[in-house]
Amino acid sequence: MTPQPSPPIPARFSRRHGLSLGVGGLAGGSFLELVRLVNLARGAEPSARRPCNCILIWMDGGPTHLEMFDPKPEAPAEIRGEFAPIATSVPGVQFSEHLPRLASIAHKFAVVRSVCHNQGNHGAGNHYMMTGAPPRIPVGCGAFVSFHPSMGSVAWHERPAPHGLPGYFALGGMTRSGGPNFLGARYAPFAVDADPSAAGFRIRDLAPPASVEGARFAGRRDLRALTDRLPRFADAAAVDPVRGLDEHYARGYDLVTSPEAQRAFDIAAEPDAVRDAYGRDAFGQRALLARRLVEAGVPFVTINDGGWDHHSAIFDALSKRLPSWDRTVAALIEDLESRGLLETTMVLALGEFGRTPALSTLPGQTKAGRDHWSGAMSILFAGGGAPGGLVVGATDRLGHSARDRVLSPENFVATVYTKLGIDPGKTFLTPAGRPTFLVSDPTPIRELF
Amino acid sequence: MRRALAAAVVVLAAAAAGRAEEGAVPHFERDIEPILTARGCNGGGCHGKSGGQNGFALSLFGFDPDLDHRSIVSGSRGRRLAPAAPLDSLLLQKATGTVPHGGGRKLDPDGDDTRLLARWIAAGAPRGAPDDARLERITLDPPPRSLAPGETVALAVTAHYSDGSSRDVTATSAWHASEPALLDVRDGQVRAGGHVGEATVMARHVGRIATWTAPVVRPGSVDAAAYAALPRRTPFDEPVWRKLAAMHLLPSGQAAESTLLRRTSLDLVGRLPTPEESRAWLADTAPDKHARLVERLLERPEYADFQANKWADLLRPNPYRVGIKATLALDTFLRDSFRANLPYDEFVRRLLTATGSTWRDGATTMFRDRRGPDEIVTMASQLFLGVRLECAKCHQHPFESFSQDDFYSLAAFFGRVTYRGTGLSPPISGGEETIAVALSGEVRHPLSGAVLPPRPLGGAPLEIPAGEDPRARLVDWLVSPDNPYFHRAAVNRIWGELFGVGIVDPVDDFRATNPPSNPELLDALVAEFRAVGTDQKRFLARVLASAVYDRASLPEGDNATDARDFSRHYRRRLRAEVLADAIDDVTGSPSAYAGHPSGSRAVQLWTHRAPATFLDVFGRPDPNQDPPCQRDPDATVVQSLHLMNSADIEAKIAAEGGRAARLAESAAAPAEIVEELYLACYCRFPTSAERESLAALFGAEGSSRRRAAEDILWALVNSPEFVFVD
Repeated sequence: MTPQPSPPIPARFSRRHGLSLGVGGLAGGSFLELVRLVNLARGAEPSARRPCNCILIWMDGGPTHLEMFDPKPEAPAEIRGEFAPIATSVPGVQFSEHLPRLASIAHKFAVVRSVCHNQGNHGAGNHYMMTGAPPRIPVGCGAFVSFHPSMGSVAWHERPAPHGLPGYFALGGMTRSGGPNFLGARYAPFAVDADPSAAGFRIRDLAPPASVEGARFAGRRDLRALTDRLPRFADAAAVDPVRGLDEHYARGYDLVTSPEAQRAFDIAAEPDAVRDAYGRDAFGQRALLARRLVEAGVPFVTINDGGWDHHSAIFDALSKRLPSWDRTVAALIEDLESRGLLETTMVLALGEFGRTPALSTLPGQTKAGRDHWSGAMSILFAGGGAPGGLVVGATDRLGHSARDRVLSPENFVATVYTKLGIDPGKTFLTPAGRPTFLVSDPTPIRELF
Repeated sequence: MRRALAAAVVVLAAAAAGRAEEGAVPHFERDIEPILTARGCNGGGCHGKSGGQNGFALSLFGFDPDLDHRSIVSGSRGRRLAPAAPLDSLLLQKATGTVPHGGGRKLDPDGDDTRLLARWIAAGAPRGAPDDARLERITLDPPPRSLAPGETVALAVTAHYSDGSSRDVTATSAWHASEPALLDVRDGQVRAGGHVGEATVMARHVGRIATWTAPVVRPGSVDAAAYAALPRRTPFDEPVWRKLAAMHLLPSGQAAESTLLRRTSLDLVGRLPTPEESRAWLADTAPDKHARLVERLLERPEYADFQANKWADLLRPNPYRVGIKATLALDTFLRDSFRANLPYDEFVRRLLTATGSTWRDGATTMFRDRRGPDEIVTMASQLFLGVRLECAKCHQHPFESFSQDDFYSLAAFFGRVTYRGTGLSPPISGGEETIAVALSGEVRHPLSGAVLPPRPLGGAPLEIPAGEDPRARLVDWLVSPDNPYFHRAAVNRIWGELFGVGIVDPVDDFRATNPPSNPELLDALVAEFRAVGTDQKRFLARVLASAVYDRASLPEGDNATDARDFSRHYRRRLRAEVLADAIDDVTGSPSAYAGHPSGSRAVQLWTHRAPATFLDVFGRPDPNQDPPCQRDPDATVVQSLHLMNSADIEAKIAAEGGRAARLAESAAAPAEIVEELYLACYCRFPTSAERESLAALFGAEGSSRRRAAEDILWALVNSPEFVFVD
């Protein structure tokens, strides 16, 4: 008799221990099967499909689907709103009038119109869409919560970056629920709060301060060799945390002195025309920086793009905001394409939910807005092998609920993991020893492959 | 092919019918459940998880045979079993991988397990009678003994039944190793690895577990004279030396005086001594100077801040959930408690019996945050009993004997807690709320619906008259000398803070499968804790007086791989707040924290929402987690980069009026400047070689006194001797 030996699960778990087990989930077979089918369909050898990197444009607050990728011109005025739809480069597909650049290249990316869930608060919606796991307890509107690792932290955990680069950057600061949770601090995003459109922008800590550059930095490094006299343990079998620190310093010096790594951060090296094309604002330059990071091999970059919670005066706000947003996102997609990077880079734009189809005017306000609505949302899904010009799913006539191809946050997150080359059915052991699925329903959105 | 197999089984069954023991109908609980557990079918990642897998749900590890039998026999309208052709049963086709099975092939189609299952199905899949003998316990043989590296031992599992019978169930037991590098186990074969240390192996047969804890030691013995000469200053020393001797190990020697000074200061007040304090200590030759140092430090105001900072990690709620006022109120309660040096028993009593406004009385914050008896008891049992009961909320604890009954009976002590006012009301954090005790209130078992009277773990149910606060009775039980958990958990936590690893580790995870590394030491600590009336300052003074505490960190002899038995002091990175404050102190350049009075140090922050890149980089708990208690002690490359390159830290090093600037502008000779910087950062004098080579930087070409002082300070702050407590 040949029983399948199951890996022994230690009674006393350490985090490292637990994670290193990374027991293949039940869906492991189906994941490999999916990859095989996808590759067959694409006529590619499995080895020819490289794992994709990801640029996630996180529209915190919940962007409206009706004023962006899912206009409802047939709906009554109190739903349809003030914006007119425009034709896109894909026959039969319309976007909002304030997305002309994206409309003109709609054949280069996909839009998913039918993701929905049941979490109408910002904190909870952020958690669900950012991690693929619903929050465990009721979570408030303003809350930042973390019960499950974010996609970016998992990407770094599973996919180390070259040149000593962190594997997960959060430009504009860490998003709500963007943290590592049980994966541990080393997979927290490298958060860059500073505005890259500002003169003299630098990413913190990745290069010495200006007063210490050059010979002085090298001199300090030599000096540190003199002051560091703490004896290390001779026995290699002994756990000496100081040796761990030595490795971190060695990696840190590699990063600081690696021309490839430093080039990734040097946004000033971009030609003016490129910087202008992305837009000379914080969002535009973050998108450009994200492209440089992905180009250098960073698997996951989030652009934290807040302020989409338009409860009032939504049309004023969006007619100001959408044109530059449209320009930046279109520029990013086209720039990646012209560099041959779009096939291996996902560009995603979404927030925690969509917005109510019925316009409402809050007490004390004079101009209408839209409130939180998790019954439907639109996701822009460009690159990473997603077919261009594709619209997945549909909402009903009034934009209330996803009607065709009703999809869950789990389906969306499983799609991202699959494209990152990570099995969404994988099981992790939490530090408490509980086996936890990376995504409880690991079924990706098949149309996007 | 399947037909042929089925025919084979009929033949086999017929042949087996001739043998008495094989002819008996297999028993569901005795024979079938063990297979499901041993092959992992009912594990937490598969059909044992809540809700099951793919529509087929089993109880976790087979704790509930009734549910399992129903699920197998009548679940999915009975399609899982085919009594007329047992091997065609979906149950067996899935398990043997004959039809696609997400879990893969779990049973050999020709194996004993499959044959047994087939016979049980052919017999009509009987449940068995209610009065059939039940499994009571399992035992492991041979008894534990010390092993040499590489040695193997075959363990046998014996199941004991309620009718007094027993039998060998080794083949249908599942095995787990606590530290596979030390002791690995597979199918009952224990194998010692190449390292010295102690570890535990666990066997599970259906719902029962048994553990086997054994040391791996090198051949030989300790030098008797050296052992006899070991210092014994407190009741804690002998148990540690005895355990080490059993492992054929001796402890490392005494730490250097400067190391001991730095360690003691950081452990008690979370702050480095000033150069003047270090000079005075190093010059002091009195034999009681360490005891005096400890007394001095315990009276410092920083003591309360540092201890409160640690307890805030355990109790501080998610501020986005409970609101900022309740978070501040809790912080005030904690700092006041440590300032007043409340005995531990009293501290816990105030927390667990708190009533009043959640905006004013910080002891109530836990009740505002944890809203029901089940949530409160989960937190309270982990914190104060060191027992993680949360598993037992939904199912039998997988590594312990705690049941749902135990869980909800303990939760029943919180059944009369009531809330007045708005409280939490997502999406916002609510208004003022008052915690009170109702005249009555009950907790029911979630499945049976039965009302459960309050019952301590392992105790008898209590009758608590209406109008009385059951929580007071819970605390009476906690602090009583008979309580096997409470003071153990407390001293283990304190010991773990001082030594970097608990006697039970993690410090809040006491269970049979995670035994203490040194039970005698734990007993000695509990006795001392009770003797000082759970006065935490007195207790700390006693532990710090021990010879175990002043060991050096460098390995000696064979003790390099020891990480559990305290043969040497284990190095730890300074925690985020302490390191931030240490940098402020050595650079002479204080930080400013938003929402806090100027001059506040990092250990005084009352919320993790105060923005501080440094503290985030060094792993303070993430306020966004629920609960926000997880503090990552690891070093990361991002931390190294921050120390190396942060503009904020560079601004401190180069600050006008900072230490480097003041020293450079003073009349001090280069060697004196070097000495001052070493005392500030390392609490020691530089060696003559260090003094000479660093003093030579002053007056070097292209440098200035200021620049040389800054560069040395940078190098010291970036060295492990600064970042670690040694």
